[in-house]
Amino acid sequence: MNAANPRAEPFGKLWSHVGFARLALGPPLALLVLMSLPPTIGALLLAFRNVSLMSPGSRWVGFANFARMLTDRRLHNALRISLVWEVVTVAGAVAVAVLLGVLIFETVKGRARDVICLALILPILLPRVSAGLIWRFMYSPLMGIMKYPLQLVGVPPVEYLSQPGTALYAVAVVDIWQWGLFFAVIMLKLLETLPASPLEAARLDYASTWGVHWFVSLPMLRPALITMLFVKAVESLRSFDLIYTMTNGGPGIATETLDLYAYQTGIGMSGRISYAAAMSVLLLILSTLAFSVLWKRSQRWSE
Amino acid sequence: MKRGLGGAVIVVVLLFATLFPVLWTLLSSFKTLKDIVTPVPTLLFQPTWQNYADVLATPSVQHGLTNSAIVVGCSLGVGMLLGVPAAYALVRHAPQLKSDVLFYVLSLRFMPPVAIAIPFIVIYTDLGINDTRFSLILTYCLTTISTIIWLGVPAFEQVPREIEEAASLEGYTEFEVFRKVALPVAIPSLIGAILFTFVIVWNELLIALSLTSQNFTLPVVAASFTTMGMEVPWGIINASTILLALPPFLFIGVIMRFLNRFFRAAH
Amino acid sequence: MKLKSIGLQVSIAALALAAFATGARAADNECVGKVPTIRVIAQPILTIPFLDKNKGEFETKWNTKVDIQQFGENERRAKSRLDASQGAGAYQVYYIDEANVAEFATNKWVLPLLDLMPKEWDWNDFLEGRRAVATYKDVAYFAPFEGGGDVMMYRKDLLAAKGLQPPKNLDELKKVVAALNDPPNVYGWSERGRRGSGMNVWRWTPFFRGMGGQWFSGDKPTFNSDIGVKATQYYLDLLKFAPPGSGTNTWSEVIEGFRGGQVALIVESDVFGPWAEDKTKSRIAGKVGYAPPPEPLPSAGFAHGFAISTKGNPTDCSKTVAADFVAWSTSKDMEARKVKAGILSDFARKSTLENPDFKAQVNPDYIKALLDTAPKTDLLIWKSPLWPEVGDDLGLQLEEVLTGSQTDIKQALDDAADQASEAIKRAAGQ
Repeated sequence: MNAANPRAEPFGKLWSHVGFARLALGPPLALLVLMSLPPTIGALLLAFRNVSLMSPGSRWVGFANFARMLTDRRLHNALRISLVWEVVTVAGAVAVAVLLGVLIFETVKGRARDVICLALILPILLPRVSAGLIWRFMYSPLMGIMKYPLQLVGVPPVEYLSQPGTALYAVAVVDIWQWGLFFAVIMLKLLETLPASPLEAARLDYASTWGVHWFVSLPMLRPALITMLFVKAVESLRSFDLIYTMTNGGPGIATETLDLYAYQTGIGMSGRISYAAAMSVLLLILSTLAFSVLWKRSQRWSE
Repeated sequence: MKRGLGGAVIVVVLLFATLFPVLWTLLSSFKTLKDIVTPVPTLLFQPTWQNYADVLATPSVQHGLTNSAIVVGCSLGVGMLLGVPAAYALVRHAPQLKSDVLFYVLSLRFMPPVAIAIPFIVIYTDLGINDTRFSLILTYCLTTISTIIWLGVPAFEQVPREIEEAASLEGYTEFEVFRKVALPVAIPSLIGAILFTFVIVWNELLIALSLTSQNFTLPVVAASFTTMGMEVPWGIINASTILLALPPFLFIGVIMRFLNRFFRAAH
Repeated sequence: MKLKSIGLQVSIAALALAAFATGARAADNECVGKVPTIRVIAQPILTIPFLDKNKGEFETKWNTKVDIQQFGENERRAKSRLDASQGAGAYQVYYIDEANVAEFATNKWVLPLLDLMPKEWDWNDFLEGRRAVATYKDVAYFAPFEGGGDVMMYRKDLLAAKGLQPPKNLDELKKVVAALNDPPNVYGWSERGRRGSGMNVWRWTPFFRGMGGQWFSGDKPTFNSDIGVKATQYYLDLLKFAPPGSGTNTWSEVIEGFRGGQVALIVESDVFGPWAEDKTKSRIAGKVGYAPPPEPLPSAGFAHGFAISTKGNPTDCSKTVAADFVAWSTSKDMEARKVKAGILSDFARKSTLENPDFKAQVNPDYIKALLDTAPKTDLLIWKSPLWPEVGDDLGLQLEEVLTGSQTDIKQALDDAADQASEAIKRAAGQ
């Protein structure tokens, strides 16, 4: 075909000559390694020194930063909070996405669907800090809109963000609001890509619409859903901006995740960048372990 | 038909509930501070444009918008150029590497930005490119390439192998099979991946805050409106939220149109 | 309003002329046009947008672009520290306050100020309290444009309705606040609960110091003493009369609650006085009474201002221009213009208190309370480069006490004291 087509792209020729796979994989992987290795090594070096932004000079301290972690109550708390945050936001966002995606798929057609999709994407586009602050204001027991319906029926305002028991979930609602709705649109688009015939057949077998989706379309979308789950899980590790604007880790340390604690230690008030780096290394190791286990599982699953 | 109607009602209610914060923000952006800070929410008030005027009069908004557009545009462009072929090559040409590369790419985002921000500052300062758009683009490419590879792989996996094989038999080169056969089929899913990547980089705050002083991006500007100095300018916060969400909203509107046109053409 | 704005325009015109005159002088200076940009890091208090609006005259004078970047208080501190400690030098002028002046001075990140200021700028015209905060180990480092102490603000109408007098001491304070408390219509009291050396610690400190507490004895922290426990208990008791959610209040919620009419009495920074009188934003303008904080509370002095970066000004010309920016933005003229423009909360000079415009616009009760409080005003925090860290650790413990996740006050303060000892040891070992 190439010979018959004189306008075969020279670029295409080069690609097939060197080997498409090498050219397509080489540069991006090289760039990724080149860009990620130096800062990672830099962070590792920091973790074994006692660098502080507040004073010049530093020295090698071996494992002192890591030893300190063993007795750091705030760190242990941060690990726990991070775990809860991961589970709640990942499960919440994916659940909202599946429910809402299927619901819209079944009930809205045509232009209305496009409009709804655009509307659902809106929350994720708000700058995270702005979104956090707007919700904080809505939650405010003095001035917020959320207390108003309660007030009408005579219930005293709820201190969503200043009670240790509710604060983390109140922030998680905002995260799920942003990501869950966005994922719902992706879910909808995924459902649209499914071939129509198996669904039609299934509709005859299962009584309820939800049954059709639970037993037929969701299993078909399993690889895509797993990808979505992983993406959200990695994204949830970055809880910083939302929590920072809404509670700053409070009340007390009830919403202080590991990346927030690392920020407060390293760049926020105390400037102990080495300890922050050590915490980050810990997070890197823990995430690698946890995700590699999940990854192996999911690989087996999708097959 | 009946069920459809009930469902539609549910959807409308849900939509209202989910979009209420945005609507409330829109409403508040036209209020004076006195109307915002009330014990009982005000629905009737004298609207004001002042909040918008204040935001637009801030030079950093324009500056931030330009920077964000350039930085996000370039890093997304590089991410697509390098990431999409890489994802395809992983699926079709190097499946033995797929699992490891994917996990490596995912692991690039495990490290909290706090820890890598300082080494980045040191390295970029040594290279003389600290606080430039270029250094920020480089840093973001790490995110865009890895995310696009990660999400691109499932997109290409959906492409039926048979049509590619048929194309090869017709004498298409590997590159042509990729560009003329696989890419068009995978594009709808790829667009989801690109959207997602766009959202992540567009909203990135911590790296931008740490690495830039003059070439700051829009999230940094948003943070400067929203974080507290003295008086919390709630009206301005609301107006800036709406304004800063507009450019990506328009961008996404265009992409969605494209997506829908594509779907209609395909079916 | 019309009249005022005409007056403003006239005065701006006059000052523009004055600037032109000095501009002519600057034209002789070899540094005109040599410094393309000076970058200023700041946080959004009322002064800053005003300077931003008027920077044109300064830019013309030096043929220099002024780029004022605003961040929230915490980001501003973090960002300027990052810039200074990494030697990036992106900013020529830093915004410094009581919490980080010691840190910036100790590390020589900012230049001593007075050598670089012109004579007519007149350091002695600044209020004593502001100068004290801006000075570290007898050297002045920043030029204040804002600051203050504490004042008690109360709703005259609500006190009168209950036949109450403003409290004079802490016993009375608790009684009055309890009597005023009538939820959910109005709460007796509000206070900062949010962690932070400039948040809950800032408001807790007058109670601690007023009851006789001391931060340290030598290198040993003593804020976990019985007095510390007593002060914390008192601060916690008052929270019962505060609106729901106050355990994590920032000053913003405190002030908005008060001027929204939902809080009857607060002891807060005096800069918030004019806020309560601002009719466009306050629902209680004209109903507020002012008095010194009840005995034995001292008043917590603070100041914010501009300082000249060491790393950001490698050349003499950039030093000259940066210094002139600081002098220009904190000059007597500038303060007078701010008053004319209705910015009544940000001032640092004695001459401003004498300014007839200021007196005409500000509630006389407020000025009287300021003057009565002045002798009690002092820098109450521990003036050390370690303060931000020590203060933040303490703030965290206090927030846990205030929100109920820690019920043992002594334990909380002990934990904070341990962390402070450790910080001191670490700093000594470096």
